Amino acid sequence: MGMIDVRNFAKSFDGVQVHKKVSFTVNKGECLGIVGGSGVGKSVVLRSLIGLEKPDSGEIYIEGEEISKYSEEQLIPIRTKVAYVFQNGALFDSMSVYENLAYPLREHTKMSESEIAKRIHEQLSEFGLAEAESKEPAQLSGGMQKRVGLARSIIIGPEVILYDEPTAGLDPYNSLKIQEMILRLKAKGSTSIFVSHDMPSVFAVCDRIALLLDGEIKAVGRPDELREDPDGLLQKFVSGEAG
Amino acid sequence: MISLSLLEFFGGAYFLVTEVSRELWRRPFYSRLVIEQVYQIGVRSLPLVIVTGLSTGMVMALQFGLGLEKFGGKPYVPKIVSLSIVRELGPVFTSLMIAARVGAGITSEIGSMTVTQQIDAIRALGTSPIKKIVIPRVLGCLIALPLLVAIANAIGVYGGMVVAVADLGLDQQFYMQKVYQTILLTDYMSGFMKTFFFALFISITACYYGLNVKGGTKGVGTATTMSVVTSSIFIFVGDYFLTKLFWVFEQWV
Ligand SMILES: Nc1ncnc2c1ncn2[C@@H]1O[C@H](COP(=O)(O)OP(=O)(O)OP(=O)(O)O)[C@@H](O)[C@H]1O
Ligand SMILES: [Mg+2]
Repeated sequence: MGMIDVRNFAKSFDGVQVHKKVSFTVNKGECLGIVGGSGVGKSVVLRSLIGLEKPDSGEIYIEGEEISKYSEEQLIPIRTKVAYVFQNGALFDSMSVYENLAYPLREHTKMSESEIAKRIHEQLSEFGLAEAESKEPAQLSGGMQKRVGLARSIIIGPEVILYDEPTAGLDPYNSLKIQEMILRLKAKGSTSIFVSHDMPSVFAVCDRIALLLDGEIKAVGRPDELREDPDGLLQKFVSGEAG
Repeated sequence: MISLSLLEFFGGAYFLVTEVSRELWRRPFYSRLVIEQVYQIGVRSLPLVIVTGLSTGMVMALQFGLGLEKFGGKPYVPKIVSLSIVRELGPVFTSLMIAARVGAGITSEIGSMTVTQQIDAIRALGTSPIKKIVIPRVLGCLIALPLLVAIANAIGVYGGMVVAVADLGLDQQFYMQKVYQTILLTDYMSGFMKTFFFALFISITACYYGLNVKGGTKGVGTATTMSVVTSSIFIFVGDYFLTKLFWVFEQWV
């Protein structure tokens, strides 16, 4: 059993069955890419992994723990272990960048204010955001907001990180920066899921790639396998023939 | 359609109340956020409440003073004005003003947090929106509204006195003496106790509509309107039943 196991996940919205039977496994230390057309339900799957959304049926295991029926209170330890990086950052706009990063530290660690300050400075300079510290989210560009969102999600050192299109809408330079960050976190041992349309990034960071299509995972494989199999569905998705 | 969303509202509001009363007793408790809300709701509503209270008292005194003059009823002005303010007008008018100012503010703030996924972010970061957002606002209203009503009552009675002295030629001493003779603790409490219920109506309604915004930024506007309309109606309807209820209590004591 992997770090994350999803079995027969099904969910519908307003009578439309978006997920029929989604099953996949992510092993410890691995990065699984999930690709698929817009609206196939990638974000909903990620959100369900930390209980922000509940499946209609099916199971979700995090390190063997079935969480799909957990209450908000039971989910708290799961949410400190598994971080979700929002597609748009989802920063608290009434707080400065510093306060945004301090939020999880104050909630989940016993660090003193000076330790928190030190940790935040380190994190911000690692992300090339040192000058943004005292700014409000509204004063930042979209790319910076995404990076702050990423920094806030991982600052308490989660074991699993769920990236929801972290490079979408970024210029090549920023996209590369995010890729580097993800690879660095992976080198430190984090398990992750990387949802994206950005195929170069997916190939760069993922150990395996899964294609979500018509409410199911239709194909899974290593990047090199996929490159060599020209008839594969994933190959067709990449070339624009499927999905 | 209307009745369905009303049913949904009752279900949702009931759920919110149970969540609040459950999480209120579990750590952590963010007292700083509560203090912030008392300030936001209480101190920043003061000017509005002062104007409302003052004009209510003054107009009441004027209406009754001029209206009762030909029956020789002017001496009853202090009694009528102070009783109606303390029992009804102070609590109800102040609550309506707060439903408009604070209720709208809470719904639009929480609503835009919902739309921009900030509420989800609170959850994703392993914290509770009930504790972080709802409880501070509910307690803020429960603390601030009764204080605002007490202020509005005093200012309303004072406004009545100003008019009674200036326009009706009553003696100031006489006015105050009559007020003290008239207003019993039960009168005061009958109005005052209502404000705790009104504070709950306003804050729970506002939080409910904010957390359940659908349809992006446009939904925030609709939710805000619904929030103010709903809590105002609840204040009026609730007032009738609470008055009846407190009347029963008053017969006992
Ligand atoms: N809260 C919701 N209410 C109604 N429908 C929803 C809700 N959340 C998701 N959906 C629907 O579920 C489907 C999947 O949404 P999801 O956001 O997971 O897509 P996605 O694969 O992440 O797309 P994108 O690549 O554009 O981000 C969409 O058709 C969407 O309309
Ligand atoms: Mg998405």
